[in-house]
Amino acid sequence: MFRNPIGKSIFFVCAMTAVFIMTGCSATTRDISPDEAIHYDEGYDFTDKHAIVSSLVESLLNKPPLVTRYDRPVIIVYNVANRTSEHIETDGITDDIRQQILQSGKARFVNKVQRDNIEKETSYQYGGNVAAETRLQRARQVGAEYLISGTLRSIKKKQPKQFRLTKKTLQYYSLTLELTDLQTGLIEWTDNVEIVRESSKPFIGW
Amino acid sequence: MNVNMIEAAHVARRWSFRCLLFCIIAGMVSGCASAKLKQARRDFYNGNPSQASGVLLDSEDISSRDRLLYFMEKGLILHHSGNFQESIDTLLSASALMKDQEVISAGEQTGSLVTSERITSYKGEYAERLLVHTYLIMNYLMINDHEDALVEAKQALEVYDTYPDACRDDYFTRSLIAHCYEAVGDVNDAYIEYKKLAELMSDPTPVADKLCALGARLGFDDEVAIYEKYLSETERNPAGADAPAELIVFISQGRSPIKIPENIVLPPSIRFSFSTYKDRSGSFFPPTVRTSGLSGPADMIATDVGGVLKASLKERLAQIIAKETARVVAKESIAHNIDDPLLEILVRVVFFIMEEPDTRSWQTLPAYLAMVRIPLQPGSHHIMISGANGGGGTVSIPEFEITPGRQYYYYSVRNNSRLKSF
Repeated sequence: MFRNPIGKSIFFVCAMTAVFIMTGCSATTRDISPDEAIHYDEGYDFTDKHAIVSSLVESLLNKPPLVTRYDRPVIIVYNVANRTSEHIETDGITDDIRQQILQSGKARFVNKVQRDNIEKETSYQYGGNVAAETRLQRARQVGAEYLISGTLRSIKKKQPKQFRLTKKTLQYYSLTLELTDLQTGLIEWTDNVEIVRESSKPFIGW
Repeated sequence: MNVNMIEAAHVARRWSFRCLLFCIIAGMVSGCASAKLKQARRDFYNGNPSQASGVLLDSEDISSRDRLLYFMEKGLILHHSGNFQESIDTLLSASALMKDQEVISAGEQTGSLVTSERITSYKGEYAERLLVHTYLIMNYLMINDHEDALVEAKQALEVYDTYPDACRDDYFTRSLIAHCYEAVGDVNDAYIEYKKLAELMSDPTPVADKLCALGARLGFDDEVAIYEKYLSETERNPAGADAPAELIVFISQGRSPIKIPENIVLPPSIRFSFSTYKDRSGSFFPPTVRTSGLSGPADMIATDVGGVLKASLKERLAQIIAKETARVVAKESIAHNIDDPLLEILVRVVFFIMEEPDTRSWQTLPAYLAMVRIPLQPGSHHIMISGANGGGGTVSIPEFEITPGRQYYYYSVRNNSRLKSF
């Protein structure tokens, strides 16, 4: 068909390259340690959650007021507000914070999430089916002394438009956590963790 | 004729045949619009959004080239069926796909150089990409999830920053963004977005009261004085100024324009093809609001969706012309290199027929999107909106009571589908 045999040669080279690429691709799986740092892109991932939580819990436990308290004060955790441009489940952050502080033995927590279920169970026990001597006593719940709250923020910057083969993105995350004394309304402790990550993505692929 | 020449002629014929076969198959594939998408659109416009979403059950039923269109059409249909969470899931898939499509596929682009633009994956016009986030924001607001609505608002802002000229006139989405900031208590960012809106609109009156209220909270007295000029005496001290709640109505009116093919033919067989938008609806019919007396004056911000879509296509014009020229050159050079005159004519005919413009577009979009805000005092409310459907009909919002602690109530209207979040 082609006057010039170069066209045919190019076709064969392309076809062979395609065959090599396709034979090189096969499905694989492997287990990864949760502590291993892996990032596929600049976005927030489980590695970031580990780093953020560990750093903030360490700061909270080693600074006043918790470092000077030996009576295991009661804390309630409110949501971490997500002010990033990604849909991030911040409940995972608060769950991990609560777990690590509890395991340290330095504080106790009010189970805010289960309040409705506790109320249901209490009502059931007083509904006539539970023996009086085994019923839980009303008005014995412990009030929280401190409140933990926080905000997760992000700033994203893309490389300006210019002639290039890859596109770079700079992503900044910051999680600020606060411990508020519920009696006085004073912030007794605050700290933040910052993560800055640059990623590069090709403009052209197959 | 010696043996070598005969052999060479056979090889040439064989390759010519393969080339033709490839072109014909590619042409057939490019000509096949996804029938299920067409059916779903028909059902939707016949007033059966639930039936329409039933047609689009599985994305695998649609060609991978039209996968983005599938998510867009299905997400919008689900919104108007009242399945907000399903609509969110579908439109988030659209959003993820748009991110993946940022990498240009060399294979697709090369193939489209000798066939048609239709063999490439549909990436959506810039305005359509923005509207994916718009509908996500609306969905999150309808389920009262202000935090996730703000996440989408921030992604919509990224689209505005990337394609400022194409998306500039989408006032509706920008007002949604401003509202998201306001709803999570971020007064300063809300003020910035309302101010951007005021600067873009020819008449900033619809956002003047918001700028005055938020500006006063931030202590921007000099700016409040500027925007107060756009308000009448009664509007400066409206009945709803201290209203604890607000009803926000999303009104979708008419049908968005669709793309139609246009051609320029140059002898002997050169065909430039491109698409343009053709309107399917008349002018915007401004709705009027009647309340039961316990509310302040309504404000409305509207967007000509068709206008924004046309601006997006115009923004891509240089890119379209460059690609079209490259395709014509590629096809001409292939046809010119064929030895056999009969085969050359055949190839030219196939190339000519295959030169079809890409007329794919998000066809269930409305022609106009409007956001009406009505401040509400405590008590029971019965609100009527005339002309919401672009005609003489009246939409009656079912009576509802203001719940203590709840600030925003949402309602979405499109033709026969009227959806509330309360």
